[in-house]
Amino acid sequence: MELYEMSASELSLMLKEKKCSSEELTRSVLSRAKATEEKVGAYLTLCEESAVSKAREVDAKIAKGEKLSALAGIPIGIKDNISTKGILTTCASKMLYNYVPPFDAFVMKKVNAADIVVTGKLNMDEFAMGSSTENSHFKKTHNPHNLDCVPGGSSGGSAAAVAVGSAVISLGSDTGGSIRMPASYCGVVGLKPTYGAVSRYGLVAFASSLDQIGPFGRTVKDTAALFGIICGHDNMDATSADREYPDFTAALKSDVSGLRIGIPKEYFGDGVDESVKQAVMDTVRELEKQGAKLVDISLPSTKYALNAYYIISSAEASSNLARFDGVKYGFRAENYDSLTDMYEKTRSEGFGDEVKRRIMLGTFVLSSGFFDAYYKKAKLVAMDIVREFGEAFEKCDVIATPATPGTAFKLGENMGDPTKMYAADICTVTVNIAGLPAISVPCGKVNGMPAGLQFIGRKFSEQTLLNSAYAVEQLTGEVRPVNV
Amino acid sequence: MNIDVQHLAKLARLHLDDKEIEKFGRDMENIVAMVEGLPDTSGDASGLDPEHPMKLREDVISTEKITREELLSNAPKMQAGCVVVPKTVE
Repeated sequence: MELYEMSASELSLMLKEKKCSSEELTRSVLSRAKATEEKVGAYLTLCEESAVSKAREVDAKIAKGEKLSALAGIPIGIKDNISTKGILTTCASKMLYNYVPPFDAFVMKKVNAADIVVTGKLNMDEFAMGSSTENSHFKKTHNPHNLDCVPGGSSGGSAAAVAVGSAVISLGSDTGGSIRMPASYCGVVGLKPTYGAVSRYGLVAFASSLDQIGPFGRTVKDTAALFGIICGHDNMDATSADREYPDFTAALKSDVSGLRIGIPKEYFGDGVDESVKQAVMDTVRELEKQGAKLVDISLPSTKYALNAYYIISSAEASSNLARFDGVKYGFRAENYDSLTDMYEKTRSEGFGDEVKRRIMLGTFVLSSGFFDAYYKKAKLVAMDIVREFGEAFEKCDVIATPATPGTAFKLGENMGDPTKMYAADICTVTVNIAGLPAISVPCGKVNGMPAGLQFIGRKFSEQTLLNSAYAVEQLTGEVRPVNV
Repeated sequence: MNIDVQHLAKLARLHLDDKEIEKFGRDMENIVAMVEGLPDTSGDASGLDPEHPMKLREDVISTEKITREELLSNAPKMQAGCVVVPKTVE
């Protein structure tokens, strides 16, 4: 087996036992990236030189016998909306085509301090708005399981890179499903942490009350290890939770006896592919055989979740993206005759269509005369969703649902119809609205494409989610990179 | 619903030509039709969450040192250590 095919936990052991060096491993992953890039297109920036020099640094530390983190020397890819000091951070937008952050995001400080080797920046939907990564200004990313299909979005590059082996682990961000959906489409593991568990400092903001950074891995153990490194309190994010976290990998166990798994009927209704429902229920029934208890639950406000999500997220996006005006950083239009003209031309030429649609929707729902009918109602529905989850978690410990209503769709299939694209988020948006953690784990294949099972948990119950996903992984087997 | 896309674009500081106004007008009507129809709900507005205590930081200057040059290095147009924009006062 090639080094790039192995999991981070296997590789970490090999590094410790000096069976390979971080430089060899990093070169293996970089050459895999170069070999697959034309077909998959996961990367926007490949950082060969800095990756190899960081790997050498780690090798020197290993040689000296220094005590290192669980993921020291392991190559990682980073979504391009996470600020990396000195490395281009474009958000896949023309607006930030030349932006080099003068600072590191909180998670990058953690990643660097843990001696994880950054291989580069990964493709995404522009400003994380989209469900297919087709909204990137720079390139399309293809699903490694079928190159005619999308990888999902918005963290499509992060999922595709891990699935094909051009990264061992990666970081993405999730505002309405942007980690879990591509994880499901690409057949890898993706965790959306509890709101506040991971600092958003340095994450280019889309919808601040919903955004959260999270890890991707081919295995649950790798995903747990990366989450353990990036979580924690940060003074620079006022919504960051101040609490202690356990050692997630050490506590990982696949024993589900006594675990109460809630099955919400609203997630198994119309609009969700029959074979996907089947794959999810088959898996959950296997867990039942091992001692888990299935509980029927209901989350009635789910039918309004998509409406509320697009209203709230677009409202926040319209104010967050006001900062892109061509003055301080990024793109500026060439010809203008006044300050206002410069703003308007810069924004019209710098943003893609989907971003413009969301900004205008946000402007609309916040504008006078419409605020009460849209934004205020959406915030009240959000409270109903929170309350219903609270009631459901009195009856169960985790909730199991499909991560996506179907498997990966074809490139171009939903590009003409924004509302059809938005419907792909139906299984994931409630989690962000309620600030809960959720994980997507592969649960077999449907018509040759991966299907994902989503576990939703109480706030800060990531360990329970990881354990549940670990139990599923025992059934399906650990994922290895796909051949393309 | 009839949406005044031109007005929205103006509020959002976007410039749309006639063809775009037509296209975005259609898109916006579909999207607004999708998101409307939310129920009237009482909504329990007690937003406090004891599980997630937020903590405001002390009002002290950050120890992170970013120089003026670094901060300004991304500006599209610069002169004498300042960002250049079109004239705003006659």
